[in-house]
Amino acid sequence: MTNILDDYALMSPLRHRNNWLKLAIVLFGLLVGVSSTSPVPPLFIALCMSFTTVALGRAPLKLYLKLLLAPVGFAVVGILIIAFFSGSGQELLSFKLVGYPLSVRKDGLELALLVLARSISGMCCLYFLALTTPMIELFAVLKASRFPEAFIELSMLIYRYIFVFLDMALSIRYAQTVRLGYSSFSRSLRSLGMLGSTLFVRSWEQGDKLFLAMNSRCYDGKMTLFEVKRPVGTSELLLTSAYFLLTLALLYLTKNASIV
Amino acid sequence: MIILETRGLKYAYPDGTVAVQDLNLEIKKGKKVAFVGQNGSGKSTLFLLLNGTLKPNQGEVLFHGVPFKYDSKSLRDIRKSVGIVFQNSDDQIFAPTVYQDVAFGPANLGYSKERVDTCVQQALEYVGLSRLKDKPPHHLSGGQKKRVAIAGIMAMEPEVIILDEPLSNLDPAGADEIMELLNEFNHFGSTIIISTHDVDLAYRWSDYVFLLSNSKIIGQGTPADVFKDTELLKKTGLRQPTTLEIYNEIERRGLASGGNSPKTIPELVNTLKPIDLMWVDVPPRVREGDNLNLGVMYGQYATQSPYEAINATVLHIHPDGRAIVELKRKGIKAGGVLIYDTDNYSLPEIKQILKEGEIVFVGAMGKKSKILAEQDGVRLDVSSGVIDKTILMALCGKRCLILTAGGMVDHAFKRIKEYVETSGIEFTVGVVSREEGCQWLEQTKDSSETLKI
Repeated sequence: MTNILDDYALMSPLRHRNNWLKLAIVLFGLLVGVSSTSPVPPLFIALCMSFTTVALGRAPLKLYLKLLLAPVGFAVVGILIIAFFSGSGQELLSFKLVGYPLSVRKDGLELALLVLARSISGMCCLYFLALTTPMIELFAVLKASRFPEAFIELSMLIYRYIFVFLDMALSIRYAQTVRLGYSSFSRSLRSLGMLGSTLFVRSWEQGDKLFLAMNSRCYDGKMTLFEVKRPVGTSELLLTSAYFLLTLALLYLTKNASIV
Repeated sequence: MIILETRGLKYAYPDGTVAVQDLNLEIKKGKKVAFVGQNGSGKSTLFLLLNGTLKPNQGEVLFHGVPFKYDSKSLRDIRKSVGIVFQNSDDQIFAPTVYQDVAFGPANLGYSKERVDTCVQQALEYVGLSRLKDKPPHHLSGGQKKRVAIAGIMAMEPEVIILDEPLSNLDPAGADEIMELLNEFNHFGSTIIISTHDVDLAYRWSDYVFLLSNSKIIGQGTPADVFKDTELLKKTGLRQPTTLEIYNEIERRGLASGGNSPKTIPELVNTLKPIDLMWVDVPPRVREGDNLNLGVMYGQYATQSPYEAINATVLHIHPDGRAIVELKRKGIKAGGVLIYDTDNYSLPEIKQILKEGEIVFVGAMGKKSKILAEQDGVRLDVSSGVIDKTILMALCGKRCLILTAGGMVDHAFKRIKEYVETSGIEFTVGVVSREEGCQWLEQTKDSSETLKI
């Protein structure tokens, strides 16, 4: 079953790298992307992150592009509006649409490009995290950041049982489909309702069983989380530092530059 | 020594359904015990009572002769000593990764981090899942999940392991692996209790059987005794084990004899001969009941192997000096079984043994050995029911090698040795030991001796 992001993250070779390093890289990328005034550094970040995710993290390129398409679609619609309706200065392009004058100005275009670059870099950073760090690695991070224990325990159990219930829901849905439960709209609604109520009852029962299972292994109200020690390697450190320095230099150089 | 005992046990669920009533049973240490009964006969409830999870309405459960107390400290001790593996692995595995789940028990026992780690590594190594320790459970197959559940219990090092329907939803290969694992635990002294409605499994595997029906025990004893009683089985709605049924039918037709409830196919095959009678001339001093050595026969007189040493028991002496004797044949040139301990594994050595020993049939027992063989491209002819199949091959004069490790080496050796002793059909069986080199070819001829390699 490889159809959710977490599954790709589980299989990624970067999964076994230090989680804090990955988090630092992502945070750095987000901050620099947002604080940059030129579209160049965010684009550089986006490129680096994409390369890392696809080449080092072995995320399938096709999947990665597909994932990017959704936010990029939104961003493009947004920047079209920004480009046409904001800014002042030199007029770069103008035409009439159904008798209404439309024009792209210098400032507007620059702002539009910046917004596009920022949103892409942000998405790339987040996808890097999502595609290389599965949920199960983040529990240790949550613990180290002093999240309440009960919260972490609950999230661990919830994570596990999401998949149990997902399987259950799929098999119930299948059982309903083969008996024509989704053949018309009203029937679909009724079947969906039954699916929901059955799942609720099942999850209730599962809770009982879970308590039993935990009790029979001497549960005393505390679930210990075992962290795996993953020291940061020299090569990773060098690569990350180089990336940070390069990005900062780029940020500094493009401070007042204009590309249009 | 009795490890678990119940006296007058009764349990009814809050809604009034009686699940277990008036239950008196004794389970001996180090045994393989099977509870057999239909669905809803009270097996699962009984198991929860044995582990202290449920508290009986009446009666008591005793562990090492001491009655269970139900305060939290005593319960902890009991649950450490009596581990239970549920029927549905998804109910039991709740942590996000395999490692975390197996570590749950030892961590609750208050062990140090290092000790928990050793426990978990050992348990995972044992069930052959070390490589999957960082996987989330939903990426595992049914058999792997079952093994994780067993490892989770193993890691607490219990004296008694209870498994509720251990083979439900497993494919035959997965089922064989689980049973092999259980045999191995048992070999190291754990008491194993399973529930099942598979009579074949209970008959073949267990040392002692309890028949449950309508929340009561209606029969108990060795599997041979319990499953002989067809009336009793009818009452529980179960049928006879297949091997036993086949044996009864062929015995009734005079095609088999002498088998005392064969459990495995080799044992069944061994019964496949009518009583072997012959007229012979005997010297005058011989009496009825004496044993005669008729020497070595071959050709048409040797029915089971090329050469046979034949002993005969005199049944009746005719006045004219001829006597009716019952023949006991011993094959001389049968095959052999060699057991290789993969704890000290080397591929060149195996290749050498395969070549020099003229081995035509290779089997592997235990996950570890199977993985090793797979990695190094050793072709396996059989990977489930290994002991039985190698015995059958050896009977046909083939030479076989079994790759296995740890306690399974002794277990396999013992099983095959036992077969040789009880069947009277000789073939060589030995464990590869490195000190004495590899001299299997020269020594195969004195077939009655245990082979030293």
